[in-house]
Amino acid sequence: MFPSKVSSAISIRNARKVYEGGVEALRGVSLEIRPGQVTALLGRSGCGKTTMLNLCGAMDFVTSGEVEIEGKLTNTLDDAALTALRRNRIGFIFQFFQLLPALTAQENVEMPLLLAGAKNAAATALERLTWVGIPEKAKSLPFQLSGGQMQRVAIARAMAHNPAILVADEPTGNLDTASGDVVLQLIRRAADEFGAAVVMATHSLEAAAIADVKVRMRDGHIESVE
Amino acid sequence: MLQLFRRLILRPLRRDLTRTLLTLVSIALGVAVVIAIDLAGDAATGSFQSSMTTLLGKVDYEITNNGGVDETLFGKLATLPLNARFTPVIQQPVGVAVPGVPGASATSFEELLSGSTTMYGVDIIGNPDAAANAADASGDLDPENLEQFVVVSSELADRLHLKKGAALELQGSEKNARFEVRYVVPNQRSEWVAVDIAAAQDLLSMQGRVDRMEIFLAPQQDEQAFLKTVRAVIPDAYELETPGARSEENRRMLRAFRWNLRILSYISLIVGAFLIYNSIAVSVVRRRGEIGILRAIGTSSRAVLAIFLGEAMLLGLVGSLLGVALGRVLAGGLLKLIAVTVNALFVTSAPGEIALSFTAVATAVASGLGVAFHSALLPSLEAAGVAPAEAMRRASRDHAAKLHVRRDLVWSVTLAVAAALLSQMGPIAGRPVAGYLATLLMIAAAAMVSPVFVTGLLRSLRGPLKKVGGAEGLLAGRSLTASLARTSIIVTALATAIAMMVSVGIMVGSFRETVQMWISSQLRADLYLRGAGPPSAGVYPPISSDIQGLIADTEGVDKAEAFRGFEFRYEGARATFGAGEIAIQKGLGALQFLQGNSQEILTSLQAEDHCVVSEPFSNKHHVKVGDVLQIPLGKKIAPLRVMGIYYEYSSDRGYVITDWSTLRKYLPEQPVTNVAVWLKPGFDQEKVQRVLETELRKYPVTIAANRMLREQAVIIFDRTFAVTYALEAVAILVAMLGAANALLALVLDRRREIGLIRYLGATTPQVRKMILTEAGLIGLLSGALGLALGSALSLVLIFVINKQSFGWTIQFHPPGVLLGAALLLVWVVTVLAGVYPASVAAALQPVETIHEE
Repeated sequence: MFPSKVSSAISIRNARKVYEGGVEALRGVSLEIRPGQVTALLGRSGCGKTTMLNLCGAMDFVTSGEVEIEGKLTNTLDDAALTALRRNRIGFIFQFFQLLPALTAQENVEMPLLLAGAKNAAATALERLTWVGIPEKAKSLPFQLSGGQMQRVAIARAMAHNPAILVADEPTGNLDTASGDVVLQLIRRAADEFGAAVVMATHSLEAAAIADVKVRMRDGHIESVE
Repeated sequence: MLQLFRRLILRPLRRDLTRTLLTLVSIALGVAVVIAIDLAGDAATGSFQSSMTTLLGKVDYEITNNGGVDETLFGKLATLPLNARFTPVIQQPVGVAVPGVPGASATSFEELLSGSTTMYGVDIIGNPDAAANAADASGDLDPENLEQFVVVSSELADRLHLKKGAALELQGSEKNARFEVRYVVPNQRSEWVAVDIAAAQDLLSMQGRVDRMEIFLAPQQDEQAFLKTVRAVIPDAYELETPGARSEENRRMLRAFRWNLRILSYISLIVGAFLIYNSIAVSVVRRRGEIGILRAIGTSSRAVLAIFLGEAMLLGLVGSLLGVALGRVLAGGLLKLIAVTVNALFVTSAPGEIALSFTAVATAVASGLGVAFHSALLPSLEAAGVAPAEAMRRASRDHAAKLHVRRDLVWSVTLAVAAALLSQMGPIAGRPVAGYLATLLMIAAAAMVSPVFVTGLLRSLRGPLKKVGGAEGLLAGRSLTASLARTSIIVTALATAIAMMVSVGIMVGSFRETVQMWISSQLRADLYLRGAGPPSAGVYPPISSDIQGLIADTEGVDKAEAFRGFEFRYEGARATFGAGEIAIQKGLGALQFLQGNSQEILTSLQAEDHCVVSEPFSNKHHVKVGDVLQIPLGKKIAPLRVMGIYYEYSSDRGYVITDWSTLRKYLPEQPVTNVAVWLKPGFDQEKVQRVLETELRKYPVTIAANRMLREQAVIIFDRTFAVTYALEAVAILVAMLGAANALLALVLDRRREIGLIRYLGATTPQVRKMILTEAGLIGLLSGALGLALGSALSLVLIFVINKQSFGWTIQFHPPGVLLGAALLLVWVVTVLAGVYPASVAAALQPVETIHEE
């Protein structure tokens, strides 16, 4: 197992987020997300989980408070710096897989590496596909894969550039139990083997079971951290 | 119903306002070109009779004859027991000068010819309308002074700054005379001067001869009786017909030219059709969910069909109306270009008014609506076929396009073979109908092969795209393949426009090269003389009989060949009859024959009643070597045996050429109209030209150097085809708008994917680069398909349509550099068409787009 680090990968301090139209998604939350740990965000729809994920993935800004990713305050970064941060340090997994339909599995995994201008992108992509257990699907297009296989490709893509942070939004929400279990094991291994700080929004108890930290949210507040 | 229309048709159109506007502009431009070509063509060909009607009133019949009408006929006709009035008319070009105003020396061919105008000689006393024009303010007409007055058109008066009472010198071939301007006829669109017929005959030494006899019938005169009586009096070689027949003949002469322009103008509309198809197909794909809901709550499939066809028809109607307004404006610009061609190649005419008739508007709107309806039919039927529970994604639909590869290929090959077979067919009713159909089938074949071509080329570019373009290159190529149905449509639309550019470019380039080579072999003399007059087809002003002697006596002149040209009629069409000194021609070898030994053919011409004909004449009248032409000359009909067919590119009307001896046999006193002058070695051409200009200053002739004529020929050629370049530009513009429209639709439909790659770390410049790469790829695919289609089309244009329309043999000379530059320019413009869609893509918010689902 990868040794857990003491310092946080993400620090959220007193974060408030108010959307246009006045909807207050977060009402002053604070949370530390550490490397090598899986942090699960639990709660009903509309409790603020997705907003938390967006903040953790450097995809959105707080209205007030601070979000610090690997020592950098996100609201002090411009678009280029945020893009660089995502490209180099963050991986994403979505409920609906979000694979690019025109690209093969391997090409989907290659994509973040190519965007970052990395060398040996094809070899690394194949390595990751082997890691998620479907190297034989490298040349398959997304519509030729099952839901579970698509999510495995998505995990391989998220891990392609060895990110420090893995953001997962309901990763098993669209899968049957067996496929969901495989995906959860891979997410656990991402934290354990790569030392990634995994932050995962989920409704599922099975998903929450793999988490080191369970954060229960309600109406934009953190109710409890276990 | 109105509410449904508003909700289901207007609202989606408003929601996609940019795309709606782009589609409307595309249709408007397509319709505008069609109506502009129609209006400008009508105006350029519709005014052959205007000057004569102004001068004499409405003429019922006219008597004409090759080589002129004998004046004594007037006496015979006047004594006939008919209720009709006969008026002799002369219509010839003459030189004009305002006494006291020194003429500047000409620096161009046009300036050289600007000192001339058309002169009408009419019987002023015998004509009430002409008399009214010539009468002074008190209404009196002094018969004594008649021969000293002229009536001028406002157009000529404006150019020469003439007012009533001003002096004007007219220069005929044999003498000059000074006149006083009696009246300026207002609102004339052409230049002319009218004098009494006796004065005209005197000026041109045409005593005893007139050009034609105009006839006015009284309302009570029985027409059949009139025709029978007059035909019994006039010689067999003379023709009696209505002026309408002449206008009809002019229109017939221009029919092929106008048809070809019209067909070219429809290309923009065809390009527009692909874009409407694309627009409605996008709408159907995008609103598939909506269609499902509508069907689920009880909307019939017929209503769904009506919604989408209604959307297309609305776009068609609004686009067409905008097009009509734009077309009216465009017609003004095109009229000048078309009029130049009509005058240079076909027949002298002054452009008329542009008249926006109900028929023209209705035709244009019907074309726009027809195109909109038919191009929207397929996607609309598909929309109507969506089952309520069906929630097909676009990906599966585009995939379906791939599954039809074999079927599409079979169709494409079948269409191409059919096109090849049609190209072998002859003209139908004098028109290359099969050739036009072949071009349409070739475009259809290209459209069918487009998906295969797009996937094939993009597949072969996979490696290079990823290597050179990185992630953006990889994504761009794959996205286009994934949206195959749409990519194919836009590639086909753009390729059609490019093919038009390429094919017309190759045709014009080949024609230009052929004409230049022909001119080089044809224009061998150092200097060329002709009578002053407009440089129009069919106009051969006679020159004085003294001139040949003066030229021969000029120092430095080696030899001079005299030529007589005049317009004549053969089988109801106008052509040029020419007589030259065949002995000189033999030594030159300037005439190039389609087949046979040119020396032998020319030698045979020296015998009486032999002739050679130009290639357009041979094609138009189906004349072969050995045929005997029956040509009315003077009062006789000359049987002329065709000894050869020679290449000729100066006019579409055609030539019949004999030796002087043959012409003189039938028309003994014929003036010379052109003289070609060869200089002795060592003499400076410019110096001899100056000497000749001084020697011949009192004669209304123009002297042009060989170089000036060559340059002029190229200028006229380029002007002639300027209108086709304008049409090409519009078709390309329509295609560009389509490319921008299609790319924008692709961006909007792929916003989730674009959002995703932003999640994956793509910067906004990378997103921009991806869309611009797609635009570049569309440009590349279209350019390649367009080049292939255009090359094939050019063969049909050169060897089928042009040959059947005008009768010219054009050598195949593709202008490589020019085409390459044009293709590069179109590619750059296609990439530029991607700039706006790229900005829209770069501005998409990833968080919003990724969570839309």
